[in-house]
Amino acid sequence: MIHVHNIAKQFKKVQAVKSISFGAADGRITALLGPNGAGKSTTLRVLAAVVKPDGGSAEVAGIDVVKDPTAVRKKIGVLPHNSGLYARLSGIENIRYFGRLQGLSNALLEQRIEALIDQLDMADFAQRRTAGFSQGQKIKVALARALIHNPQHVVLDEPTNGLDVMATRALRRIINQLKQDGKCVLFSSHIMQEVDALCDDVVVISQGEVKFDGTIQAFREQAGTDDLEEAFIQIADITEDTPQ
Amino acid sequence: MSFKVVLAKECLDNVRDRRALISSFSLAILGPVFFVGIMVFVLERALGESDDAIDFTVVGAQYAPQLMAYLTQQNTNIKEVVSDTPKDLVSLGKHDLVLVINPNYAQRYASGGINTLVLIHDSSEISSTRRNLAQLRNHIGTYSQTIGLLRLQLRGIDPSLSRPIITKELDVASPAARALTILASLPYFLVLVIFMGGFYLAIDTTAGEREHGSLEPLLTQPISRGQLVMGKIAATMVFGAASLLVFLISLYLTVPFVPFERIGMALEIGFAQLLPVFIISLPLILFAASLLTVVASFAKSYKEAQTYLTMVILVPTLPLLFAQLTNVETTLAIMFVPSLSQSNLMADMIKGEDVEALHVLVSMATTTVYGAILAWLAIRLYKHERILG
Repeated sequence: MIHVHNIAKQFKKVQAVKSISFGAADGRITALLGPNGAGKSTTLRVLAAVVKPDGGSAEVAGIDVVKDPTAVRKKIGVLPHNSGLYARLSGIENIRYFGRLQGLSNALLEQRIEALIDQLDMADFAQRRTAGFSQGQKIKVALARALIHNPQHVVLDEPTNGLDVMATRALRRIINQLKQDGKCVLFSSHIMQEVDALCDDVVVISQGEVKFDGTIQAFREQAGTDDLEEAFIQIADITEDTPQ
Repeated sequence: MSFKVVLAKECLDNVRDRRALISSFSLAILGPVFFVGIMVFVLERALGESDDAIDFTVVGAQYAPQLMAYLTQQNTNIKEVVSDTPKDLVSLGKHDLVLVINPNYAQRYASGGINTLVLIHDSSEISSTRRNLAQLRNHIGTYSQTIGLLRLQLRGIDPSLSRPIITKELDVASPAARALTILASLPYFLVLVIFMGGFYLAIDTTAGEREHGSLEPLLTQPISRGQLVMGKIAATMVFGAASLLVFLISLYLTVPFVPFERIGMALEIGFAQLLPVFIISLPLILFAASLLTVVASFAKSYKEAQTYLTMVILVPTLPLLFAQLTNVETTLAIMFVPSLSQSNLMADMIKGEDVEALHVLVSMATTTVYGAILAWLAIRLYKHERILG
């Protein structure tokens, strides 16, 4: 379970997040939908306990991200918007590094690595150094790294960015599998179609505020149109001129 | 301790960076080779100068047999030729230095008159002629003085009357002294090598990590910032220490090529000298790693960090150059200055001189404290969100 209450965050003069509240439930896929610069990444960074909110609070599995960030980091797996792999380390070495930082025992760690290589279909390239990996291969390694400690909560920042059709499909399959396993999955996106294809709940964020929070069906009903893109634009209250 | 996980990863990562590795260790390997090379070159020249015979040519040797006998007794190598135009011998380049003795030398000598000997040389030529000329002039001067003294004595006059003042030169620039001058630059290398060893790793683990986008995922891991930064500094220390070790081994292997025994010096560079040097360097290794890490953490990109660190390396090495030029004595006050204290202690240790235990203690303690403060600063930087850039 993830709960966010009225968080706000300012970077120098930019108010990235004004006031955002929402929840994400276990066994469901929740999407943070919004245009670029809406405050999606900042919200996810607060959940990963990388930045502290100026106001409000956020909880992961009932643990406050400001009060006990280390405990939160053990409960959450984060896929950053760029994979952020170490180019001179192999796929497995990248995954192993994070597994050790999570404090997994060697036996458990190797067992998890094997399972993830199988689950994410990485056997062909996991032994190679990540320099020169395709975007799809990089995302898989980064995802395995985020899942190494088998976290109950998985946060993905625009995971399909730069992926081709097959890689996107593979990723969707993996995200659905996480849902089947009862995980709380939260991902950000600015692509309505992707959100529609994948998620159960949707939180629309625009200009640092929540514009909608509900199921995907409720979202369609509120917009009163089957054109998803049009619905998104209406609800997010953006025009082509909206400063981003 | 999770800092070990970070340490192990950073070491593995940097070992695979072939380019950084080569530039980090090239100074450590090649430094002593150059150092010893210069030393051998300078010593050989210095030794050669005092040993070599003076080469010159004489025209009219038969007119002054006594002078010739005297010159032959000195360390000389004389060629005798017959020529009507002795100037051409030099101007045509066949001879470098020609002494011309007049046919009426013996007659003037007997009558007690002045004899003028001509020394022909070409001062535009840069060669050993200048040294030969000076020495030959010296020998002839000494000979002339001896004759003069004898003449005065024969007339019953105290020879010292004609010499109210005499000068005596004492050249302290013996080959050993020259060797010591070069040796004094050794601690400078030692300090530089420690900083160079951790140079690239400090950048790669901080500004580089941020530039490659791997810092943010790393910060989502349940490791305290303190442990994280300690791991990074420890990895930089490992490479600083490795660089120093490589340098000392290289020194150990190359120094025996310097002909110290020929200048009456005994410079022993063995385990007994190098181990203490390594031990007193440990705090400096911490200091260097923390300093490099702090400064590189401020930089926004790899390039920027490189620029900053190049300047940072100048800071601890400039006082050394200054100290070397001004010949700073080993005092307690100096022990409070990192890099200067180590270089002074190292210099004494390598020369085989005794070092005071108090000096070693103060140097190691204060430098460790400075290093710890810098490490603490680095940890503080990493606790701040600004580190994400």
